[in-house]
Amino acid sequence: MQNEKTGLTRSAVGPASGSSFFNLHSSLAGRWAVFISLSVLALAVRLPRLAERPMHTDESINAYITGELLAGDSFHYDPRDRHGPVLFAFAEPLVKLLGARKFSDLTESQLRLTTVIIGSATVLLLGAGVEMFGFIPCLVAALLFAFAPLPVYYNRYFIHETLFVAATLGLILAGWRAWQKNSAWSAGFAGLCAGLLLACKETSVIHFFALGLAMICGWFLLPREKAPKLKIVGVAFTVFVAVTVTLFTWFGRNWAVFGDLAQAVPHFAARAGGEGHEKPFGYYFHLLDPTFVLMIVAVGGGYAAICDAVTGIRKPHLLLVIYGLLILMIYSAIPYKTPWLALNLWLPLALMCGFGVEAFWEQMTNATGRWFIVVAGGFLLAVLGAQTKLWAFDQPADEKNPYAYAHTVDDLLGLPARIEELAKKENLTQPRIAVIAADAWPLPWYLRKYSKVGYWQPAQDPGPADFYITTTDVPAQLDERLKNLNSEYFGVRPEVLLVLWTPATKETTP
Amino acid sequence: MKNLLPKFTFAIFFAASVAFADDMVPLKTDLPKPQFVGTPVPINVPNLEPKLTGKRPDFMVPAGTENLAKGKKVTASDNDPVVGTLDLVTDGDKEGDEGSWVELAPGKQWTQIDLEKDADIYAVIVWHYHSQERVYHDVVVQVSDDPTFSKDVKTIYDNSSAGTDRPYIESYQGKLIDAKGVKGRYVRLYSNGNTTNKMNHYIEVEVWGKPAA
Repeated sequence: MQNEKTGLTRSAVGPASGSSFFNLHSSLAGRWAVFISLSVLALAVRLPRLAERPMHTDESINAYITGELLAGDSFHYDPRDRHGPVLFAFAEPLVKLLGARKFSDLTESQLRLTTVIIGSATVLLLGAGVEMFGFIPCLVAALLFAFAPLPVYYNRYFIHETLFVAATLGLILAGWRAWQKNSAWSAGFAGLCAGLLLACKETSVIHFFALGLAMICGWFLLPREKAPKLKIVGVAFTVFVAVTVTLFTWFGRNWAVFGDLAQAVPHFAARAGGEGHEKPFGYYFHLLDPTFVLMIVAVGGGYAAICDAVTGIRKPHLLLVIYGLLILMIYSAIPYKTPWLALNLWLPLALMCGFGVEAFWEQMTNATGRWFIVVAGGFLLAVLGAQTKLWAFDQPADEKNPYAYAHTVDDLLGLPARIEELAKKENLTQPRIAVIAADAWPLPWYLRKYSKVGYWQPAQDPGPADFYITTTDVPAQLDERLKNLNSEYFGVRPEVLLVLWTPATKETTP
Repeated sequence: MKNLLPKFTFAIFFAASVAFADDMVPLKTDLPKPQFVGTPVPINVPNLEPKLTGKRPDFMVPAGTENLAKGKKVTASDNDPVVGTLDLVTDGDKEGDEGSWVELAPGKQWTQIDLEKDADIYAVIVWHYHSQERVYHDVVVQVSDDPTFSKDVKTIYDNSSAGTDRPYIESYQGKLIDAKGVKGRYVRLYSNGNTTNKMNHYIEVEVWGKPAA
């Protein structure tokens, strides 16, 4: 590709030397071999020790909903806090395939496998982005998705973000292809991805807005694009509506959902104000890249994208930069912030890093310079890999872990084990367990093996039980029931304790 | 016939009771489901006020009792602490900030203070960590004349499964343990992680007593 004004030659694929390594992508088979290999490596990185990290409250609630679906219930959208049904549409068949038939059968590994597979598939999907963004940016983005701590950590987390990012990437790639090639199939796929996005999380409206604005910019930027054909728009919209309706009504079983969706709007508008999750504007910058190395490379990529767009080449690069900056500003401006939302920002960041590397690559006209980029990139990946090992595997629930947010601590894992031990000692085959707490999560996950577990609010009297679990502010009405019981403390999250009240039997010294 | 009547009546009652007994079913009650909640809000309040409200009741000790541990040598099962140094345990600084505490390795660990000579010990006060609501597991405090604690060990506090003391929530007032005038030179404190993580922390340990006569 020749830039007429500057005379700078910028190949879409970028090779300059005769090295077979640098030409690996020049064939379709070679390109897919690279991305399939990276996807398999991403899967291999994400699979080990999947059950070790304690279940976060959000994961345990998602697990509970999956359990309800296994029990034959349909998904009911809750406008207060439950997000869309896509996660469960993927998880339910997968856990069934793995042998789970009811809530108590579920395991951490089964549930987290859903997001692990989708996260690894996202790496593969970047292979389909080569036509739009070029080989080097997609390769760099795939490497960052495969090995960096943030995507690895949250791809092993049974929440909606991983699916959300995959659907966003699918929408960008298919939407661009449908627009450029007037392909009905691509339009249909774009509609599918848009439907999945909306049925994943309510934050999709932010992305629709940012993508729409980027598209308008693309419309005005030279060279001017042709308007997409009405047929193409119609196909995309029809599929989008069909997917959205099918998923939100849970395959036609719950038509009241549209009233609930209308109620969600004021609720989520209020939530954007923070609700205890307020963070400063720059929160995501630090979380995405504590060393700011990636940010510098991405800024270089953004600058290269602007330069290219001014001279009329690589328009998709600039559109991606516009989309990325828009969502970064919107997410940063909203007071409500949680660390997993940063995964949405990782996609444009990773691709912009790719643009930056591509620009450096093209400035290096000899093999030595390019090998230098490869070695420096390898070193950076090694540093990121070490962080991944630390945060995703060695200390996944530690207070100091930047990705572990209000996370369940390891100490709680001792509670079900202790109940089991004491129940055995007391010859209780089905112990009655009364949990009295305003927020009992994630206990329903950890007590799922027991059939006689009830959950009461602090003002309620649960009646007689073999074990009581309360917060440290023990409700006064329980005084009589607890007075002859022993108490043991268990941590739930940092600063949050639960008390297990156990039969007052004298234990023998071990 | 007359003799048969009571037997017949008994048979009817027996059959009826068996029939009714078959109708007996276990009491089944619906337990409430857990209510969904949002993502928990992280609680991160520096120097959180402890559960214990108000001043601790006065603890009476003989006149002349002093903190014998101040500045004394500290050893531990983990001689290479993860954070801080062992001298922090007896340096007199009881603040909850980082820099005031020593962090020992995960799992069961001990720290030990050498009082340098035998003493009559009336109280031990320990501050593990008080900038966060936590409970330390299996806290045991022992006194001995033997630095290896292989003989003449007197346990003055034990909230592990083997002991009779109950676990407690850490507070800025520390945990006061009644040593009842036990005699010894070395004081050893055990713990086994806490409710937030598996590490063991010590801000300060005070040993209140008088040199043995």
